[in-house]
Amino acid sequence: MNALRAVPARGIVRAVADAAARWADADFPPRVRLLNRVVERTGYTMPVVEYALDQLFESLSADALEATIAGELGSLEVLDGFALRPGRPRARALPVGSVCVISSRTTIGVAIVPAIFALCAKCDVLVKDREDGLVRAFFATLAEELDAFAEAARAQTWEGESDSLNVGSFDAIVAFGSDATLARIAASTKSGTRFIGFGSRASIGYVAREELRDTMHAKALAAGAARDLVLYETEGCLSLHALFVERRGGVDPATFTKLVAEEVERASVEFPPGLRDARASARIANARNLAAFRSAAGSGSVFSDARGSYLTVLDPPESEPPAFLPRAIAVHAVDNPSDAITYLARHDVPVEAVAIAGKREDLRSFAIEIGAHRIARFGDLQRPPIGGNHGGRSRIADFITWITDER
Amino acid sequence: MNYNDEAYRLDAEIFTAIQRWHDYGQDISDEGFNELALRIFAHQLRYNEPYARYCETLGVTLDSLPSSWEAIPPIPSAAFKEAALATFPPAQAELSFATSGTTAGESGRHYMENGKLYDAALLAGFDRFMLPDHMRLRYLNLVPNPAQQPHSSLGYMIARVSERRGDGATAWYLDGDKLDIDALIGDLEAAVEHDRPVCIATTAFALVHVLDALHERHRYFALPNGSRVMETGGFKGRSRVVDRDDLYARTAERFGMTNCAIVAEYGMTELTTQYYDDVMIQGHDHEHASVRYKVSPPWLRARVVGPDGFTLPHGVVGALVHVDLANRASCIAIGTEDLGVRFDEGLVLIGRESGAALRGCSLSAEELLVR
Repeated sequence: MNALRAVPARGIVRAVADAAARWADADFPPRVRLLNRVVERTGYTMPVVEYALDQLFESLSADALEATIAGELGSLEVLDGFALRPGRPRARALPVGSVCVISSRTTIGVAIVPAIFALCAKCDVLVKDREDGLVRAFFATLAEELDAFAEAARAQTWEGESDSLNVGSFDAIVAFGSDATLARIAASTKSGTRFIGFGSRASIGYVAREELRDTMHAKALAAGAARDLVLYETEGCLSLHALFVERRGGVDPATFTKLVAEEVERASVEFPPGLRDARASARIANARNLAAFRSAAGSGSVFSDARGSYLTVLDPPESEPPAFLPRAIAVHAVDNPSDAITYLARHDVPVEAVAIAGKREDLRSFAIEIGAHRIARFGDLQRPPIGGNHGGRSRIADFITWITDER
Repeated sequence: MNYNDEAYRLDAEIFTAIQRWHDYGQDISDEGFNELALRIFAHQLRYNEPYARYCETLGVTLDSLPSSWEAIPPIPSAAFKEAALATFPPAQAELSFATSGTTAGESGRHYMENGKLYDAALLAGFDRFMLPDHMRLRYLNLVPNPAQQPHSSLGYMIARVSERRGDGATAWYLDGDKLDIDALIGDLEAAVEHDRPVCIATTAFALVHVLDALHERHRYFALPNGSRVMETGGFKGRSRVVDRDDLYARTAERFGMTNCAIVAEYGMTELTTQYYDDVMIQGHDHEHASVRYKVSPPWLRARVVGPDGFTLPHGVVGALVHVDLANRASCIAIGTEDLGVRFDEGLVLIGRESGAALRGCSLSAEELLVR
């Protein structure tokens, strides 16, 4: 129990960062050995998986981890003993207890970040993840860096919906999954257990007319949007699922849509399309054909290829929700953010992040109004900083409990 | 030739093909199908403007007609929600059916210029695949009642079948979404008592509710010999999905019938003709077979296609494109998102509700639907 309790927080952070640094090396043997399994499990192509692992492990630097912890808790020292905090009583952050991280979806290594912060909080952690061995292998590296991790960090396979949920013994549950899965897991927890759910969400983009002053600028934005779209086959909550482009810019929405399509083709060279099941292929082909039918009737336009490896549609009917299909994006021409707000509200789209091109203050208000947790640049949607607040939540605060000394 | 003459002649040819198959089992040759399909397609290019415009964007016009029915561009089924896809003024339709709603709740219409053609097509298919024994049944219907939903193609079809092939004691048990289980139980008891074989025509979803209700009441029936179930539709948009094998096993057990007395019909409002499981025509040989093949009358053919629209080899799963000659007055080729796979023995439909595990952490269209 609490195998990390006697280890200084800085030592934990350092060990995590050192392990992550080894995994950030593309030639690190465990990573090389695992690569094919991740490719096989996710269906993503090798460059996409490599990118994902780079992003994940490069972000886990000691400086970034320490800054995040200090930002949330006031200092790193509160994890080791009572420490002063500016304007507040002396306090110590104790581990909440044992933490279970359940990742029921296919996202690469999504469980690792909360597991790391729970470990930094000196909690014992069990990760139940999809079977590709990534978490298990990373935990093995952690244990090489610091013996205590061998006991503190364990990984098991999540068997899917049929997994018998034995989560009653945990003090905190972190779960990634659909609303239904989260509800099922939450219902299995004991009273008093902290439940930290990350449900399915979507991300969007918004381009202000001021940013469309010329083709070169627009092309750069389109390239960023394309990258946000193609990475992870648009399956992540940080993938670009809908794009709103203001009218009356130097480059009009129709031209911008064409630029996005061109950039998607370009991005597909760096990140080739992954495996697609027949259902997704059929849906994309159908969506493409329907858009072509509308276009033939004078409504909107469509860019795709014969195999439907991507799909960019301009101005589908507002009654149509985002497609949520691999590498498929609808571009909506809008007059102002309120048009986008209306669309997102109409379809009840829960927004995780919004990529915004534009400096107007109303764009920040727009992000707040749609319930986004993050504003990013185009091209960076899928590169969340470790110090950010995924799901609008703190990184470590959920895994500690405070004791204050007011004497 | 003017429109009326052309339409009349084509309808007559289709009607003749239907009657020959229905009355004498005469198939349509590949050449015959191809030739008639291409003439119907050309007719539609002449008179169905939205379809013609769409085909033109694909490079297919009256001046560049395909040489094979397999190259006829399929219209996406959802296009029926976007435009009146008819070769004639919709106001003159003898029948019109509402297509199912989309996630946005909108529906379209499939307009039928010739109601007799529709009736002939549906009855011929039903007779062959549901009634190969020519049995006159009592129709107990758990599908939309056309008295309440006159634009339901399923309700219309079952009403027609009940009227033409039933014993005169047809009953309907759906009132909107409400199921009158007591009335159904009473009628099942009466059928058993009077040894009247029945056909329970039901949506899959209604069948699940019936089975649940019978389970709660500990009721089992030994339905008279010859009784059967026609099940149609999936669980799309429903919160509960049931495995089809399990559904059929429960149905057979609850009604005291064999598995091959349960036939899945596969149809869509955008088509005039329907597919059926081959279990009734295969009879008891099929009892223990694990695969149900879909069969159709010869004027309806399916292609299994990849995203590029080309026909896939046997054994490869792809999207279904239906080419229905009886769709003379709308669009002959319909593209769908439904999946199927072609084997030498026939077509196997991959359930609409079966899907791979959810991927990524993004919202999905299905999740958005149930929010």
